[in-house]
Amino acid sequence: MSAPASISPPALAGAEAAPDWPLGGTRSDARPPGEPRRVGYLYLLPAFAVFAAFVLVPLGHAFWLSLWEWDGVSPGTWVGLDNYSDVVSDPALRRAFMHALVLIVFYALLPVAIGLLLAGLLARVRVRGLAFFRTVLFLPQVVAMVVVAVMWRMIYDPQNGALNELLRTVGLGSLAQSWLGDFDLALPAVGLVGTWVWYGLAMVLLTAGVQKIPPSLFDAARVDGAGMVREFFAVTLPALRGEIAVALTLTTIAALRNFDLVYITTKGGPGDATSVPAFQVYSRAFESGQVGSAAALGLSLTAVIFAISFTINRIAERGGR
Amino acid sequence: MTSRRELSLTYAILGVFSLIAVLPIVGIVFTAVQDQGELAAFGTFQGVHLDNFADAWRDGNFGSYLRSSAIVTVSVVAISVLLSILAGYAFGLMRFRGAQVLFYVFLLGLMVPTEAMIVPLYYDFRDLGLTDTYWALILPQIGTSVAFGTFWMRAYFRTVPRSLVEAARLDGASSWFTLWRVLLPLARPAVLTMTVLLFMWTWNEFLLALVMVTDEGLRTAPLGLSFFQGRNQTNLTLLAAGAVIVATPVVVLYVFLQRHFIRGMLSGAVKG
Amino acid sequence: MAAVRFTGVDKRYGDVVAVRGLSLDIADGEFMVLVGPSGSGKTTALRMLAGLESISGGEIAIGERVVNRIAPRERDIAMVFQDYALYPQMSVFDNLAFGLRRRKVAKDEIERRVRGAADLLDIGAYLDRKPGQLSGGQAQRVALGRALVRQPQVFLMDEPLSNLDAQLRTQTRGEIKRVQQEVRTTTVYVTHDQVEAMTMGDRIAVMNDGVLEQVGTPEELYERPANRFVAGFIGSPAMSFFDAAASGEDGGLRLRGEGIDLRLPGLPPLSGELSVGVRPEAARLWNGGGHGLAGPLRGGVTYVEALGRETFVGVDVGGARLALFQEGRIALTPGDVVDFGLVPEGLRFFSPADGAAIAVPSAERTS
Repeated sequence: MSAPASISPPALAGAEAAPDWPLGGTRSDARPPGEPRRVGYLYLLPAFAVFAAFVLVPLGHAFWLSLWEWDGVSPGTWVGLDNYSDVVSDPALRRAFMHALVLIVFYALLPVAIGLLLAGLLARVRVRGLAFFRTVLFLPQVVAMVVVAVMWRMIYDPQNGALNELLRTVGLGSLAQSWLGDFDLALPAVGLVGTWVWYGLAMVLLTAGVQKIPPSLFDAARVDGAGMVREFFAVTLPALRGEIAVALTLTTIAALRNFDLVYITTKGGPGDATSVPAFQVYSRAFESGQVGSAAALGLSLTAVIFAISFTINRIAERGGR
Repeated sequence: MTSRRELSLTYAILGVFSLIAVLPIVGIVFTAVQDQGELAAFGTFQGVHLDNFADAWRDGNFGSYLRSSAIVTVSVVAISVLLSILAGYAFGLMRFRGAQVLFYVFLLGLMVPTEAMIVPLYYDFRDLGLTDTYWALILPQIGTSVAFGTFWMRAYFRTVPRSLVEAARLDGASSWFTLWRVLLPLARPAVLTMTVLLFMWTWNEFLLALVMVTDEGLRTAPLGLSFFQGRNQTNLTLLAAGAVIVATPVVVLYVFLQRHFIRGMLSGAVKG
Repeated sequence: MAAVRFTGVDKRYGDVVAVRGLSLDIADGEFMVLVGPSGSGKTTALRMLAGLESISGGEIAIGERVVNRIAPRERDIAMVFQDYALYPQMSVFDNLAFGLRRRKVAKDEIERRVRGAADLLDIGAYLDRKPGQLSGGQAQRVALGRALVRQPQVFLMDEPLSNLDAQLRTQTRGEIKRVQQEVRTTTVYVTHDQVEAMTMGDRIAVMNDGVLEQVGTPEELYERPANRFVAGFIGSPAMSFFDAAASGEDGGLRLRGEGIDLRLPGLPPLSGELSVGVRPEAARLWNGGGHGLAGPLRGGVTYVEALGRETFVGVDVGGARLALFQEGRIALTPGDVVDFGLVPEGLRFFSPADGAAIAVPSAERTS
């Protein structure tokens, strides 16, 4: 994983909830003598200064850049919001976002499904040594995405890759092919890498959530005659709403930001079979001289991320938390 | 389904998925210790060949890459931790006008991906002549790190009982003294978690380095690995060795401090 | 050592008024207890005195100085918090010394004061321990010690006994009082427990809903409550009330209510609707009368609280609930019908409109 992942919706909710302290608001007449007042700004200043200079200002600048058509060298041309309308009209960009959607299935839905499977089982049995499994399952999260990409590229290698070797050894040699070079298989192949990276987190997250469900809820369900499946949908799933929201948010955002993986494995290819918005930002800005478009794309990506986080949060909250 | 069978199934699932999680990593380590000439399919063991690491370090220049990564990561983490503690303290325990708004700004900035900022960052730094310097890697990452760190430390400081802060104030401690001598000794776990997370994210950062740096001497580890792969399509064992070198520091940190990693990454979560 | 004075002190949080027009004089060296139910404003008043809350209106003075705008550390006060607020990572010694070190007190002086307080509170054995290693009672004493070593002009205590179990509470109550009497520092003590207030305070200030209801010695509050609230709040079991119409009769007082018809020749004639307060010890089983009892009244037993040495019997008289007092044990069960009488000197009268006490002059008011 590269830059800090977003903070998940429930944590955001905690940040927004009004604290019961301090009371009385912040108007000057409400403040007791000797309590730190303006000095608060001083404590804040260094962090905010760096943050403003290297996050907020670039954001503003990105918006400015997105209004021009520019190749990075010669003077640019004003195009207003055309770059943004391109996001929906340009077929190349549309395809990129479609691919991103596919990757969301691999990065988010699949891992969460796996996590729910395990969580459902763990609701009913006591497993020992969970800490050990947790440590191992979490390992893919910790390895640099570049390393992960290199690893899997080697695994997918047509000649010497472990995957094809495995298929040959078990007699399925006919299935062996160039996974990352195939127009149809490249995207799923990349997606599966994402699944590999994220299912551990989903499993750990959801099983942690399951262990917080009061046993009395399960007892009540069983007394009512609920079988395993009923119990899962009636008790486990609703209780895990928060954790599912978090898992989906983190993984979906990762699916949208997967520059590293695509760059190392396929560079968007073959053709544009694995073209994704994150890669397009880089490619357009630094390879094909479409800086304005790249900036607009980056901001659109941000908007999509905001929208998804917000939506997931809303749905989770509506479920009565 | 009986309880016994459920238990077996659960262990089976845990086992299988754990294995899958670990296998590629084991595979690459295995590849890294094999001799280039005798590279065989997985499953055969030809003896451990540590030369690959030495070769990668020298000829592959991974020594230099690690050094660059270390310089950048330590700088970013050290400064970000300090700044985040100060800002988190202010947001968590002080009242001042506009605190709520300013905090939301941090929060929003936290959700902005590098992809959105990388384009203007590059051109700004280029205009300042600062591309191909460590500053280009350090400064932006401090920016994003303090967004997370401030959120994290604020959340921590809000759990401090206010009577403790008031007692210190009554006893005559200044806000600075209270922070460093009264509150921070208690905050060690929170600070440690933040530190390991920032370390991991900074060490693993790729896009920023790719865009900002072309000078070989400044390449950070992930960037170096990518570059090495581009040059080295055939020498797989060397590539594997390089990959292992790049991943090792964070993995080692993880092995010793896994609780902090996991707790940190999940905690954004389980407050729901 | 100094006197404390509240003059017309208000505290507002937006539209909510937490304290309204509080005026209170606390003498130098006095142990003043602020008591009242939750939300009465007693803690807010204490925190304003400490400087932890700003003052919306009025003035607070410590000694000759008005301290409204003065920071807590400059007020020369020390506070004992409800949760003790001990510095968790420091030893008990360092906890005690903290405030002195911040004020640049000389090392040997610090040593002397800390040891002195430790002896006084019997915590010398714990000086090297950390707060996490102390029991509740020990931690409470360390919190007390931290205030002691500062040798301030005023001690402030915010419900320091709330977190202790009942037995420890009783024991510590006495210790705090003893210590205060040794050092003779002005103390303002907040509690919601009226038993604590009655046993510890030189004087008690009863607060309710942000307003000071009455201030006086324990005896004054018990015998001459200024209004219905104070009457019902102080004393355990609480005073019972019933409504009655008063009229003069033969130079004395006659009370008539639901199931109640009492002639009280010794009392002055009042008239109009009254709320009559009766403490349990002023309501006795009739047992043939005599002993100055007025009655008999008849009521149904609603509960019997047998406490060994004494018994309290709840009776229902025409809708009014009264509590009777009886030494020793009594063979009664809920549902029984009993005759009982009231001690005229033990009755208190209140206006039904605003609860204010109706003063009834009499030679001896004892019950």
